[in-house]
Amino acid sequence: MDFDDTPEEAGYRAHVRGLLEQHAGELLHVSPGESIDPSTHQAEFRATQRVLAEAGLIGIPWPREHGGQGGTLVQQAIAGQEFARARIPTLINHIGLGMCGPTVIAHGSDDQKSRYLARLLRADDVWCQLFSEPASGSDLAALRTTAVRDGDDWVVNGQKVWTTLAHVADYGILLTRTDPERPKHAGLTMFVVDMHAPGVTVRPLRQMAGGAGFNEVFFDDVRIPDAERLGEPGEGWRVALTTLMNERVAIGGAGSDVGVPVETFAAHARERLPALDPDRQVLARQAVGRAVVASLATRYTGYRRFTVLSQGGLPGPEASAGKLAGTTAGRLVADAGVRLLGDDAVYAATADGDATWQRQQAYMPGLAIAGGTDQVLRNILGERVLGLPPEPRADKSGPFSGGTR
Amino acid sequence: MNFDLGTDQRDAAAGARAFFSGSTSPAAARAALEGGAIEPGHKALAEIGFLGITVAEDAGGAGGSLLDLAVVAEQGGAVLAGPSLVTAARAAVLLADVPELAAQLADGSTAFAVLDGSADGSHPSIDAAAATTFLALDGGALVVGQGEATAGQPMDATRGLASVRLTDRRVLAEDAGELWARARQVAAVVLAAEDLGAADRAVALGVAYAKERQAFGRAIGSYQSVKHMLVDAWVGVDQLRSLVWWAAWAADAAPDELPLAASAAKAYAAQVFERAAETLIQVHGGIGYTWEHDAHLYWRRAKVDRLLLGDEAEHLDAVARLVEAGALRA
Repeated sequence: MDFDDTPEEAGYRAHVRGLLEQHAGELLHVSPGESIDPSTHQAEFRATQRVLAEAGLIGIPWPREHGGQGGTLVQQAIAGQEFARARIPTLINHIGLGMCGPTVIAHGSDDQKSRYLARLLRADDVWCQLFSEPASGSDLAALRTTAVRDGDDWVVNGQKVWTTLAHVADYGILLTRTDPERPKHAGLTMFVVDMHAPGVTVRPLRQMAGGAGFNEVFFDDVRIPDAERLGEPGEGWRVALTTLMNERVAIGGAGSDVGVPVETFAAHARERLPALDPDRQVLARQAVGRAVVASLATRYTGYRRFTVLSQGGLPGPEASAGKLAGTTAGRLVADAGVRLLGDDAVYAATADGDATWQRQQAYMPGLAIAGGTDQVLRNILGERVLGLPPEPRADKSGPFSGGTR
Repeated sequence: MNFDLGTDQRDAAAGARAFFSGSTSPAAARAALEGGAIEPGHKALAEIGFLGITVAEDAGGAGGSLLDLAVVAEQGGAVLAGPSLVTAARAAVLLADVPELAAQLADGSTAFAVLDGSADGSHPSIDAAAATTFLALDGGALVVGQGEATAGQPMDATRGLASVRLTDRRVLAEDAGELWARARQVAAVVLAAEDLGAADRAVALGVAYAKERQAFGRAIGSYQSVKHMLVDAWVGVDQLRSLVWWAAWAADAAPDELPLAASAAKAYAAQVFERAAETLIQVHGGIGYTWEHDAHLYWRRAKVDRLLLGDEAEHLDAVARLVEAGALRA
C-alpha cells in the first residue's frame, strides 16, 4: 500500500505538469473560489481546450484512430488532477469529452466519427447532452420528445430541460421517442443534432444560485438527416446507457473532492475559528471535524477506486457511492464553511464581497440532483451492489402510448 | 498509487476469518452476558499469534505492521470476538523498549490491559476485568503493576471492561506522554477496525434478511424505505474501510498523519457502526428486538465502542484542533 505514483505515473505527471507550465500563457486560470462563466468567455475557454488538445492532454483514453492518445483512465485522472492543481477551470467541452464523444465512438458511423471527434477534442465544436425533459428526469425512459421518419430525415418535436451548456453548444446527442407503440425502453432512438438547425430554440434557465449554466431547449419540426442517427431505431436506450456509463467514469471521483477541496476548507477554518466566541468555537469544532472527516472518508474511498483503475479495472456500480457520499461531505463542508462566517453567514457574501461559501451552500441542492439524484443512486447501489430486489414496475412491458408510463 | 491490501494481507484476513468463525460467534457474546467465557479467549489468540502481530520479532512477535493487525482485527470484530486486539496493539507500542514484557504479551504468558485515566482509579478499560498486569500513565511516567479491578454490569460482556486501582507499580519509562498518546491513537485505529468488521457484518445480515423476508407480497428489501436504510449503512461501512486502512497504514508509513487519521477513523467508526446496528434491528422488526437474535449483540458492541478511547465528540474536536494547528495545509 502506498499513495505515491508508480514510476510510470510519476513520469506522466511530470510530463503533464511540464506542458501546463510551457503553455501557461495560453491557458485560462481561476483563483480559488472564483468561477468564470463559459458563455461570456467562450473564446478563452475554447482556446484553452484547443491548446491542451494540441499538447496531447485531451481525450487521453480515446483510441488514436479517433484523435485520442490511446492512453489509460489513470493518465486521464492524473491529467485532471494536474489541471485542477494549475487552477485551469472545468473544460468547456467536459460533457462532450465525458459523455457525447464516447457515445459517438461506440455507436456512430465512420462518417460521423471523422466529422465530429477531432473537432470535439479541440472544442471547435462544443457538445451538450439532451436527455432530461420536464416530465422525465430520473425516469429518463419516459421521455416524450418525438422523432418521426420523413424520407431521409427525421422530424423532431418536443422539449428538453436542465441541459448544461446548450446555450453555447454546437451539437448535442438527443434521445427521442420514435415508436410510442412499443414499451417505453424499446421505442427510443438517439441522434446527433445540430444545435444551430432551424427550429432549435435554447432558453437559459436561471438557477437558484443565480447563475444560468443550464437551459430549456425546444424542438419545433427540427429536421435531422437519418445519417445522424446513433445506433439503430429503437436502440436508443442501449445507446443512452453507454452515455450514462461514461458519465460514471467521468464523475467516478478518483479522490477528487466534491465542491471545494478539504484543504481550502481547512484554511478557512484556521482563519475563522479563532474569531468566534469561545463557546461558539466548541460547537464550530464539532462541525469542522465532522466535515473534514466526511471529506477525508470520501477522498480515501476515491483513492481505492483509483487503485482499481490503475490496475486496469473499470468503475463498477459502487462508483455511485462516491457521488452519494461526496454530496453528503460537500453539504457538511459548505454548511460549516458558511457558519464559520459568523454574522456574515446570513448574507449572500461577506462584507468584503467574498461569496465563496454562500455559493457553495447554494450549489449543494443541485449537486444532489444532477447526474443521478441521491434517491436514484441509492436504488442503484441497493439493487446492483447489495443485490436487493427492484420495486415491481407496471411501466416496462405495455406500449408507451398505453398510459402506464 | 496503490491503496489496496497486499496479497499477504488478503491471505491473513482470510485465515483470520476462518479462525474467528471457527472459534467464536455472536452466540458466545450472548452467553458471556450470562456469565459465559469470552471467546476465543486470551489463550487461543496468543496461540494463533494474533497478540504478537505488531510485537518485534526479537521479542517473539511477528514484527508486522498495524495494517497487518487491522485486517485481522476486522475479522474478529465481525463475530464479536474477545479479548480485543486493541489491547495487543496498544501494549505492543508501550512495550516496544521493554522486550521481556513484550515477549510475555506476544506469547500470552501475561494478560495485559492498558488503563485509561488515573492509575489510582481508572476509567472502564478494555479487557481489564480478566487481566493480571496493567499498564498505565502515572504522572507522565509509563508504569506497570498489579491492581484491583472493579467491573460494572456489562452492556457488552466481550469488552471485559473494568476500572482498576493499581496496588503496586514499577516505572518503565519517564516522560512517556508522547509514547502514551501514540499508543492510544494506535488503539483507536484497531477499535475502528474491529467496528468496521462488526458494522460490515451487521449490514450483511440486514441485507440477507431483507432479501428473504416477505411483506405486502414481496421481499422487504424491494421497498425503497428499507433499501435506502441499508444502502446508507453500507456506504458508511465502505467509507469507514478507507479511513481504517489509511490510519493503519499511516501508523507505520506516515506517522505525522496518524493523529488526524486515527481520530477521523474512530469518530467515523462510532457513527457508522451505531447506524449499521440500529439498521440491523429495524430491518428485522420484532425478531430483531429479541434476546435470542444476534442483532442486539452488535448493537451492544456499537453502543459501548462508540464511547471507548474517546467518543465521537472528542475525536471530532481533535480533528478540528489538528486542522487549526496546520494539518491539511495545502
